[in-house]
Amino acid sequence: MDIVVQILLNAVIAGAIYSLLALGFNLIYSTARFFDLGYGALTAVGGYSVFFLYKILGLPLIPSIIFGMIMAGILGWGVSELVYRPLRARKASNTVLLVAALGVLTVIQAGIAILFTSQFQTLSRYVAEQQTYTILGGVITQTQVLILAAGLIIMVLLGVVLKYTRVGKAVRAVADDEEVATIVGINAQRIMGGVFFVGSMIGGLAGISVGFDTGIQPTMGLALLLKGVIAAIIGGIGNVWGGVIGAFVLALVENLGAWQFSGEWKDAIAFLVLILFLLFRPKGILGK
Amino acid sequence: MEYLIHIAILVCIYGILGLSLNLVIGEAGLLNVTQAAFYGMGAYGAALLITNYDINFFLALLGGIIISAFGSLLIGLVLSRFRGDFYALGSFGFNVIVWSIMLNWQDVTHGPLGIPGIARPALFGFTFSENLTFLILAAVFLALVYGISTFITKSSFGRVLKALREDEEAISVFGYATSYYKLVTFVISASLAAIAGALFASYITFIDPSSFSLNESIFLLSIVILGGLGSSRGAVMGALFLIVLPEALRFVGFPPDVAAQMRQMVYGLILILLMLYRPQGLMGTFRM
Amino acid sequence: MEEGSNKGWIWGIVVLLVVVLGGWWVLGQKTPGASADTIKIGFIGALTGDAADYGEPQKNVLVLAAKDINDHGGIAGKQVEIIYEDAKCKGPDGANAASKLVNVDKVQVILGGSCSGETLAAVPVAEAGKVAIITGSATSPALINKSPYFFRDYPNDSSQGVVLADQAYTKEGWKKVAVIQEQTDYALGIFQAFEARYKQLGGTIVKEEFASNISDFRSVLAKLKADKPDAVLVSVQTAASAQRIFDQMQKLGWKPKLMLNDVTIGDPATLTKFKDFLEGDIGANFNLNDTPKFVALRDAYKAAYGKDMGYPTYSTAVYDSLYLIKEAIEAVGYDGTKIAAWGRSSVKNWEGASGSITIGPDGERQSGDSIFQVKNGTAVLVQ
Repeated sequence: MDIVVQILLNAVIAGAIYSLLALGFNLIYSTARFFDLGYGALTAVGGYSVFFLYKILGLPLIPSIIFGMIMAGILGWGVSELVYRPLRARKASNTVLLVAALGVLTVIQAGIAILFTSQFQTLSRYVAEQQTYTILGGVITQTQVLILAAGLIIMVLLGVVLKYTRVGKAVRAVADDEEVATIVGINAQRIMGGVFFVGSMIGGLAGISVGFDTGIQPTMGLALLLKGVIAAIIGGIGNVWGGVIGAFVLALVENLGAWQFSGEWKDAIAFLVLILFLLFRPKGILGK
Repeated sequence: MEYLIHIAILVCIYGILGLSLNLVIGEAGLLNVTQAAFYGMGAYGAALLITNYDINFFLALLGGIIISAFGSLLIGLVLSRFRGDFYALGSFGFNVIVWSIMLNWQDVTHGPLGIPGIARPALFGFTFSENLTFLILAAVFLALVYGISTFITKSSFGRVLKALREDEEAISVFGYATSYYKLVTFVISASLAAIAGALFASYITFIDPSSFSLNESIFLLSIVILGGLGSSRGAVMGALFLIVLPEALRFVGFPPDVAAQMRQMVYGLILILLMLYRPQGLMGTFRM
Repeated sequence: MEEGSNKGWIWGIVVLLVVVLGGWWVLGQKTPGASADTIKIGFIGALTGDAADYGEPQKNVLVLAAKDINDHGGIAGKQVEIIYEDAKCKGPDGANAASKLVNVDKVQVILGGSCSGETLAAVPVAEAGKVAIITGSATSPALINKSPYFFRDYPNDSSQGVVLADQAYTKEGWKKVAVIQEQTDYALGIFQAFEARYKQLGGTIVKEEFASNISDFRSVLAKLKADKPDAVLVSVQTAASAQRIFDQMQKLGWKPKLMLNDVTIGDPATLTKFKDFLEGDIGANFNLNDTPKFVALRDAYKAAYGKDMGYPTYSTAVYDSLYLIKEAIEAVGYDGTKIAAWGRSSVKNWEGASGSITIGPDGERQSGDSIFQVKNGTAVLVQ
């Protein structure tokens, strides 16, 4: 039974990363109402910032991670101000925003590749044995446990902030109806900017987690983003908790599929699940 | 001179692809990111027929078209049910799935080994082995596809498509089966893309899955968006621009790695700038 | 729709095109491959991307070799000029690069590619242009006898797979082997050669493949682990892939006996990084005896580039290939057809930096791979 436990553990690890992606993506989608593909590139920004600070400059771990997240947040916010805000101001259609976001993704990825080359990099400094824990015959490393913990903490934090704080209520008001929120006196532009900042920070953290777990590459953004989107749709797009559930469901299906069929079909399986949900339950699991 | 001919052939092939995609995106208003899959099906179909069964190129071309049309029918049936963002997402998914099949179904496609040694076309004893003659062939096909594309857009069928892209709800209220129109356009588009695929396969004499990935679909999307949606001329112009520009960049003298990334960056910037300042593209009639 | 603004756009584009194409045509007027005092030789290799790990050293050694030849009078009195094209280890780019070299630069001989995929695509183009093509690095068995214009001075993978299979079944006594294989032509070629021999001997195989862009192998590895194989064959395109796999095996707490292909065991950086993990594991590689020429090359490389020569096996063979071509041109002239014919008939016990080279009438180098074992972070020949 070892293998089943391991598969489940693998799903949990992958799910933790996907849930970070879905959290940030959902936050942005629920307020800005479009598919921000550029979000994917911010994962790479986070990962590479930490690469630069932690591995090249040799700074300590926690500050590097925090700074990496901030970098991602700032870049995400900057893009939203420069590109998305003017587009949304003139009521551009979702398709236009999607294409613009695609452009943003491409530009950021290319920029990273020019600065850091397109080679694959890992973030961890040491190759030596990491602390591992054995649970019921399956193995999980300390890093992976930390990622899982981070994901859960952020999810809870986000949920609490959105539900109980004034800022959170303002965000939900803007998400519900931007015009009405502005009329009521909420500075929708500021809220929007803040949402992009925080969402991008979470995306950066996702990229950093992937970097420590498997590694980073300038083109990691699109693949990770698509997984995040699939997770968000499975769980119910725009729903914070839904994204997390969707993430774990996706991870589970992927890993079970890899086990039962063959590893090479993993991506195809993920997209098949997406299509099935789009067909039969587009609102997702928790959708209203 | 030979190199110019080579570039011109590529422009013809991508011009055909642009025209085919324009039918779906420009005329029918559907953000489709699957085109590389049909391009690939046409290429693989023709390549396999030529290499395994020694079939004449022109017949193999027909075979490629049939395979692509059939595949697009199946995919289109599912895809037509989606709207807006979900359509785009679904099309991402199908592209990945088809690509996975090309990579993993090794008994047929040889997977990563690709299919080498595809013969150049031959007709009545004359072989198009000189690039110049192949260029003439490709240009003839481009003109043919241009003619077909213009015919469709100017016909009553085309008018329904235009109405569909402007307001799908309205036109379905009038009794037009919108799904049917979307599907037919999709299949025609895929069949035209297959022509480009067969030409590509026979020209390069080698194909493998890497030419038909999601990134290729995104590139095709940029061609149509740049050239202008709803404009046949624009589609060809877009192809011309996006093929010639990176070749010109080669001579600016960047190191090869940076040059490739600069090209990507330019694509991304073009997309962003277009969306911001001219969302209908250079020659388009349709603003998304 | 405003006719006026549309016209403006059209003119703008036409002007742009005329400028770009015109300027580029002018720049593109190249002299044919051999002028009064230079001989042009093409090179196709993976200069960017993961495979640049072995493509780039190949370019570097050729720069050294070309300079060395030119300092000593060149080829038949003419200076040699190598034109480097990047094919990124991809088929279509290989065909493109070959097309440019054959049609624009008008070379009569091409060195390359680094990867089997780019070579498979380039060979038909070279043949159509009657250009000889010799590779010191692309090892796919699919290239054997693919064209009379193709020959190579590095042993192909059919030997690597067979040698590994023999070692696994007969010497080590492993009856069941798991294989994790990257989906590229080269990695697949090694597996196919291994599979044929191993099954012939009576062994059983469980296999998982992965696409090159995958970096999460956990479930795949867990699956193979549950099958309890005697050993695992890791057939990858680049050492970087192998490193990711080792890293995740480690994290799974799984340390099976491993068999490595030449790209992995030939990379000192990987062996050092995973010193403890790989201790005692075996791999197949071409055996470079420390010939005086090799030692000289190794030192020259270090002196010129400040780092160790990457992938000494491929790099040395590529180095040798230029000297082989020099001799060919001096013997039969600068003609692709004749050079190719020479390559397939006149290379017998030719002393190169990579050892004694004999190329058979099928264009293949006649010698095989040997088994090495990882001891304390370096690969040691197993006699």
